[in-house]
Amino acid sequence: MNRRHFIVGSGLCALLPLASGLSLEAAHAEDTIKLRKLYNKDLSYSDYALSMEDKRVSVSGFMAPPLKAESKFFVLTRRPMAVCPFCETEADWPDDILAIYTKRIIDVVSFNTKIITRGTLKLGSFTDPETGFLSRVRLVDASYERP
Amino acid sequence: MKIFVSSALALAMAGSVASAQEALPQQNSKWFTDAQALIKEMVARQPNTHRAKNVILFTADGNGVGTNYAIRLFSGQKAGLLGSEYVQPHEAFPHSALVKTYTTNGQTPDSAPTASAMNTGVKSKNNMINVDETVAVGDCANMAGHEMKTFAELMDEAGKSVGVLSTARITHATPAAVYAKTAHRNWEDNSGLPEGCTAQKDIAAQLIDQMKAGVIDIAMGGGRRHFLPKDVTDEEGKGGKRTDGVNLIREAEGFGAKYAWNEETFEALGDMGNTPILGLFESSHMKYEADRTGEPSLAEMTAATIKALSKNENGFYLMVESGRVDHANHDGNLHRTLTDGAAFADAIAMADELTNDEDTLIIVTADHEHAIAFNGYCGRGSPITGLCYDVDKKGVKHTGKPLTGKDGKPYTVAGYLNGTGSILKEEDKWTGSRPDLTNEQAMDQDYIQQALIPMSSETHSGEDVAVFAKGPWSHLFDGVVEQNYIFHVMDYAVNAE
Repeated sequence: MNRRHFIVGSGLCALLPLASGLSLEAAHAEDTIKLRKLYNKDLSYSDYALSMEDKRVSVSGFMAPPLKAESKFFVLTRRPMAVCPFCETEADWPDDILAIYTKRIIDVVSFNTKIITRGTLKLGSFTDPETGFLSRVRLVDASYERP
Repeated sequence: MKIFVSSALALAMAGSVASAQEALPQQNSKWFTDAQALIKEMVARQPNTHRAKNVILFTADGNGVGTNYAIRLFSGQKAGLLGSEYVQPHEAFPHSALVKTYTTNGQTPDSAPTASAMNTGVKSKNNMINVDETVAVGDCANMAGHEMKTFAELMDEAGKSVGVLSTARITHATPAAVYAKTAHRNWEDNSGLPEGCTAQKDIAAQLIDQMKAGVIDIAMGGGRRHFLPKDVTDEEGKGGKRTDGVNLIREAEGFGAKYAWNEETFEALGDMGNTPILGLFESSHMKYEADRTGEPSLAEMTAATIKALSKNENGFYLMVESGRVDHANHDGNLHRTLTDGAAFADAIAMADELTNDEDTLIIVTADHEHAIAFNGYCGRGSPITGLCYDVDKKGVKHTGKPLTGKDGKPYTVAGYLNGTGSILKEEDKWTGSRPDLTNEQAMDQDYIQQALIPMSSETHSGEDVAVFAKGPWSHLFDGVVEQNYIFHVMDYAVNAE
């Protein structure tokens, strides 16, 4: 590789999001998937999910208000968890969610701010020992950021 | 004035306005000839004064004038048109009016008293269903004697059959107003009732009572959990909510009702005959149309119900709710609002096809509007869920150039005044700025339209809704009416001599 080309290229990569006004999300767009890509319409695991099991993936979505303070666990939702007093008599989880187990204790991000999570994809039913929360798809060793 | 009206009528009847004057340069324009054709149709229109044998009341929850406008453009653009020129099935109905949706204590209503107004003929308090306005919300102890008689009960007494359909839980406010009387809309199963409340049963129990009594013949929607005890798991692995140990589905089957819980068992109902039908297709609400799988569509439920109810030679009353136009609006997710709205229109077209204008009054309305709003000045064909593109000064379709705000960023055709899409973020101490946006991002099925005031859920608004009608006495809808007037038109139509 031409060294000059490499430097210019990587410099551009670093600067592009700022210089062009593109978001970090756009810069990562190619390897970040939307949460819905993990499920088929009938809520079975998608081919993508099956092919990426035990591999590190990057998923965009929204942090649902955490069930517990000082936790390393939160739920990623496809759309912000709107709490509509007239739609629901109690909080109802959507079916297509992703449980996130983080490396560090989470800093809560508000429910309607888009985040990108990265972690190792795990499939199969799992009940969280602390909250009793049942999940079918998880990211473990995860981190997240606000793009 | 009378003379003026008569002469105007004579002139119109004699032919087109243009023919009575000298030729107008624009008279060959399609706009002109279409409008002239409509004038002739309007002049020739005769009121339908038959007695209504059947009444079908369609309500799309949260589908006010603005939301209905967005659905029109969405369906039009899906059909390959620019959008605005599209005509939804109910928009071709001969009669319409604007409807004032406020309640006795709410400038902004919720779906309980609005549905109650349509089913009893009077307005009442927010959160209450078919209980008069003198009772305080949730006051079970003092509601006895304040329950109102419903249109369904009147129709049952007249020997008609009654059906109620919803894509929301069948115990949710709008469908509940067909069969229940409750001091609070949230008392969907017994666990929600206040301790010591004996003046009423919970909403699910009231539905089963009304089915047993023969008032309700067909009820289909979501909400299975409110019919099952806590320790019972339903067909899809979800638990019931009832704490009284009563399995209302078994109870219904005990008096001969047929039960369906998915698409397959719905199709297996076949010829429903006079058997009571209970369809509960989800633990909570049915799926949004955009996500639907394994459940009947609203149009399919409507068709099956009309076919079954039509077997009663005395006629029927059917209330059909598209319940989740409202929920997607609450989420600020215009895509699902509009896909559910289009499914609502499909159900209306289906009902129109299966019934006769001579004997069936079809009413299409909404209970309330939302805090949805529309930007300008978009050129024709700007995608209703996408960006607002500039008007083409030389042509018809937009230029493809997104219009921008003073912040230099593009904006969508539609947005919300409040909700989860607020650009003000808690992390930023409730400050914020509009994010950049592409048309592709805006048209994504999960996109949340930008909003101003941060809220955990977008709100209803008190703005008017429309009512569209066809069939016997539909001409009684005209001008601006109170929402409770809808009951009176239905009542007049079925009793007309």
